[in-house]
Amino acid sequence: MSTDDIVDDLTRDTQNSPEELLTRSFFFVCAVLSIVTTVSIVVLLVTEAAKFFSITAPLMGIEGPTASIVDFLTGTTWEIGNRRFGVLALVSATLMITIGSAIIALPLGVATAIYLSEYAAPRHRAFLKPALEVLAGIPTVVYGFFALIYITPVIQTVLPGTGTFNLLSASIVVGIMIIPMVASISEDAMSAVPDDLRQAGYGMGATKFDVSTGIVVPAALSGIFSSFILALSRAIGETMAVTIAAGSQAQFLNPIDPTAYQEGALPMTAAMVQLLLGDITGGGLAYRSLFAIGLTLFVITLVMNVISDLIAQRYREEY
Amino acid sequence: MTDGHGQADDGIEPDGGEATTEDPSTEMAIQTDVSESVNDSDYTREAGTLVEARDVSVYYNDDRALNDITMDIPENRVTAMIGPSGCGKSTFLRCINRMNDMIDAARVEGDLLLRGKNVYDDDVDPVALRRRVGMVFQKPNPFPKSIYDNVAYGLEIQGADGDYDEIVEESLKRAALWDEVKDQLDESGLDLSGGQQQRLCIARAIAPDPEVILMDEPASALDPVATSKIEDLIDDLAEEYTVVIVTHNMQQAARISDKTAVFLTGGELVEFDDTDKIFENPDSERVEDYITGKFG
Amino acid sequence: MATDTRSGDIESFGTVSKTVGTVFRYVLLAATLFGIVVLGALLVYVANDAIQPLTADPGWHLTFLLTLVLPTLGVGAYLYRRDTDALRFGATTVGMTVVTLMFAGGVGMIFVDILSPFVFLAYAVALALPFALVLALQRRARRIPFFTRAGATTLAFYVSLLGVPGPVGAVAGLPTIVPGVPALIQSLPTVPLGWMSLTATLGLGVAALVGVYAARVRDRRAGLFAGVGALAAIGAAGAVGPAFGVTSVPAVVLASVAVVPTATYAAGTAVSRPERRIGLLVPAVVIGGALVGEVAVGALGFAGPQSWVDWQFLTSAHSRTAVDAGLYPAIGGSILLMVTVALLSFPLGVGAAVYLEEYAPDNRFTRIIDVNISNLAGVPSVVYGLLGLGVFVTYLGRSTGTVLIGGATLALLILPIVIISSREAIRSVPNEMRQASYGMGATKWQTVRRVVLPRAFPGILTGTILALGRAIGETAPLIMIGAPSVLFSLPTGFTSKVSAMPLQVFAWSSLFASEDFYTKAVPAGVVVLVSVLLAMNSIAIVLRNRYQSEQ
Repeated sequence: MSTDDIVDDLTRDTQNSPEELLTRSFFFVCAVLSIVTTVSIVVLLVTEAAKFFSITAPLMGIEGPTASIVDFLTGTTWEIGNRRFGVLALVSATLMITIGSAIIALPLGVATAIYLSEYAAPRHRAFLKPALEVLAGIPTVVYGFFALIYITPVIQTVLPGTGTFNLLSASIVVGIMIIPMVASISEDAMSAVPDDLRQAGYGMGATKFDVSTGIVVPAALSGIFSSFILALSRAIGETMAVTIAAGSQAQFLNPIDPTAYQEGALPMTAAMVQLLLGDITGGGLAYRSLFAIGLTLFVITLVMNVISDLIAQRYREEY
Repeated sequence: MTDGHGQADDGIEPDGGEATTEDPSTEMAIQTDVSESVNDSDYTREAGTLVEARDVSVYYNDDRALNDITMDIPENRVTAMIGPSGCGKSTFLRCINRMNDMIDAARVEGDLLLRGKNVYDDDVDPVALRRRVGMVFQKPNPFPKSIYDNVAYGLEIQGADGDYDEIVEESLKRAALWDEVKDQLDESGLDLSGGQQQRLCIARAIAPDPEVILMDEPASALDPVATSKIEDLIDDLAEEYTVVIVTHNMQQAARISDKTAVFLTGGELVEFDDTDKIFENPDSERVEDYITGKFG
Repeated sequence: MATDTRSGDIESFGTVSKTVGTVFRYVLLAATLFGIVVLGALLVYVANDAIQPLTADPGWHLTFLLTLVLPTLGVGAYLYRRDTDALRFGATTVGMTVVTLMFAGGVGMIFVDILSPFVFLAYAVALALPFALVLALQRRARRIPFFTRAGATTLAFYVSLLGVPGPVGAVAGLPTIVPGVPALIQSLPTVPLGWMSLTATLGLGVAALVGVYAARVRDRRAGLFAGVGALAAIGAAGAVGPAFGVTSVPAVVLASVAVVPTATYAAGTAVSRPERRIGLLVPAVVIGGALVGEVAVGALGFAGPQSWVDWQFLTSAHSRTAVDAGLYPAIGGSILLMVTVALLSFPLGVGAAVYLEEYAPDNRFTRIIDVNISNLAGVPSVVYGLLGLGVFVTYLGRSTGTVLIGGATLALLILPIVIISSREAIRSVPNEMRQASYGMGATKWQTVRRVVLPRAFPGILTGTILALGRAIGETAPLIMIGAPSVLFSLPTGFTSKVSAMPLQVFAWSSLFASEDFYTKAVPAGVVVLVSVLLAMNSIAIVLRNRYQSEQ
């Protein structure tokens, strides 16, 4: 074989053959689609919400009624019929659902994570982990129905005066729903704690209890926090359970008043569903308010996801 | 395809290897011939140099793993590379088929010529290069496919013409595996024993008929019986292919290779010569120390 | 004295620490079980409301206790002591029977009400012909340039599906010279019966798979026999079905989707693992016991429970009265949505995962995509609904609530999950495999297609099934895109309005809120929805366990 032949042979450039180019571009487009999705969400929410507020609507060429951005962000009354769009009424309900579900899910989730990571035998793990996944897999509409039909009556017998629609039952089911999220991310963080640390603890004569609470949990703390934030962001975005169980009457409640949980209210997501189910004409003020709430919701969850990501990155760097 | 010595023995029977090993004198004579011509400064390529390395250095980030390697690898011979672990012998092997390209941090300097063409030229397609330079890895790594599909893999990806059944059979025979697997070609390659898997990998590497076969410690994960089978096989393969083998086992290098390169710590090629010379009368004292086990 | 005290101290110290540890351990266990137990209790409640087992005659319970429950428990206990592998095999067979029956119900629905088997046959033939042609060509000449190959493939499919000159010609005003294969077949004077078409398509496909499986378990001859046998059985089901009260088309579906695959699995395992054969006692006892019990309660006149989940519920549409309300259009809608979501999200999600794992250079842009995907996974589903509403309905002017828009919105929603799980599956492919392939001179695409994807496929499939499970339970995005909560007929195509199971359940529990719906239709709907989800989850889990134990 002469040198020319080998040069021809070795310089075929298969990297850029049509087949390679085509497949590579397809895969690239798939990956870029995720960026397109995000950009579309942001652009859509921002432009539609801009049509809602008086301050920006003229720029978008919108005539007719608009809402003041200050009233939107600081108002505490949400009455579409009277054109009163105070988002705080919705935010307070969302906040209460979040607090309520956190009280249930965070301790239970962390305890579950410790049990799975430090105590459970492989046989039990093999059963418990799929069972926990089922908790997260049950449709939220089913959880909502459970809260309304089975849990609320129980609450009403314990705490008379609780409404048919109440934030407490909704918080309970949302809490149950997000336990697996707290548990699995926290467990990952705990499994990532190097065995050396545990060995060191046992070598000092510590018991399993001491090692779990004194060494593993503190070492995995950033991962645990990251799981908290992620799970709470999920609770904020949760829609169907709260729509069914929490009620449809928007009202501003004090989140730190325990009795307020016995009342019904309208969280942000439920308000969006309600707006859609009511008769709203495309382009009307109510329709555009939908996007204003959507934007608020998106920003809150996005900020929480980013924070959780940053914290999680820290614990990944640690080990 | 090539004008090597093995051409005369083409289609050699699997047991032909014994004849070769029993007849070392002729082998040795030819080999000395080749090495002399290689050592000669005005050698000609036709005399049998297939791969030439000229001042090849490899860096991982800023760490130099291989230090100005210059050597000529003769055609249709077994060239062994030995040295303590971390000496860069595997790194050099992976330069020949540009597998180092896969590591982002790795950077290669110098020229590495295959039949006179620098494989590190910008216009060279590593994929095309690897179709001429087959490779057998340290750990047997058959695909989770049938034995047949494993051997036919190279043919399929190259869109080779010809009767695949025939080539698969031929390759398995050359890899001395045919008799053991001819009734189970549809079964998974992973069901074979470790030694059989490695021979399957060798069959897979030779099926598309490459010019060079690189072997990266091919027997290090195997038991002694499987190892000796692989060694016999390598001996046979040199009839038709140029074999470059990395090993940490000096006895193995002494048994199977025609030429030996000794790499020592720091990615340095200390000595490269006929195997007999390296093991009996090396020029370098460091090599002698290494061979006799004083260090390494 | 002093020594005594000290040792006493140590002992008491030891006891105390042990007590704390033990208490802690049980507290953790209780916390772990809390959610599971609560959910379990709620599911029992809802199942009780939906199925009402207590309304059955005590004799009915007694009969089934004797024929079904006790024998199953007995066999289970016996196998548990003797051979847990055999027990697992038996239980898997029973589970597979249940899951495939559900699946057969869905497929049957498609062929009875949405897609005529004959049209299916026409398109199957139109696709199979060029496919076979291209395959044969490729075998003959392996070194065809890419563009020739791609052009020939496109042309073959175009001609076969659309005819000569087809729609392109129609645009140019040319008359149709040769119609496409589907049109040709459908214009035939004699039309095969529905079940025959189905046997020739679905049945043939299943029989081919059975043949391949049997060939792998045994040898080629066994494969041939098994394949032919399976086809004969499927055909026979269609021919004989009506005599047993099952219409031909559902009978063929039942045979090809449920009976034949389950029987093949059972027989295949029994042949390749003879020591596990005894596990077949489990399905025998369960199925036999159920049949015997059914006959016995019929003969003795014991009434069964007044279950709201019954044939009527599954096959009729919504009604204003809870007793007559059914889930049929919603089930059909969910099936079509799932098909759409799977078709869209699977290639796109796997494609993105392949890019990120195999192609992407380590640079800023890749990291942006990476972070972006994990953030998208956290975006609430209502926001995806708004996206669907805004982009597809408001800006692109599509009509609201169609299968396509619903499917596209749900596909976007689960895309991040599919990408993340596929990436994990691809990452778990050992690097030696890639090295081996690249070392042979394979290109990137060849390595991806022939080595990475086949190896990662079970993992990708598991992740996708779990993600589809998420999509099937989603309601909010469907409400956002304006899917009707009440629909009286099945959607017939991708552009018809669609409802879905969770949406129907939501409508019943909010728009039609009344005691009657709360105690009848909603629990029944919940039971159906949860059963489908549990079936999907269990498939995914079984797949994953099998796949993990293989590695």
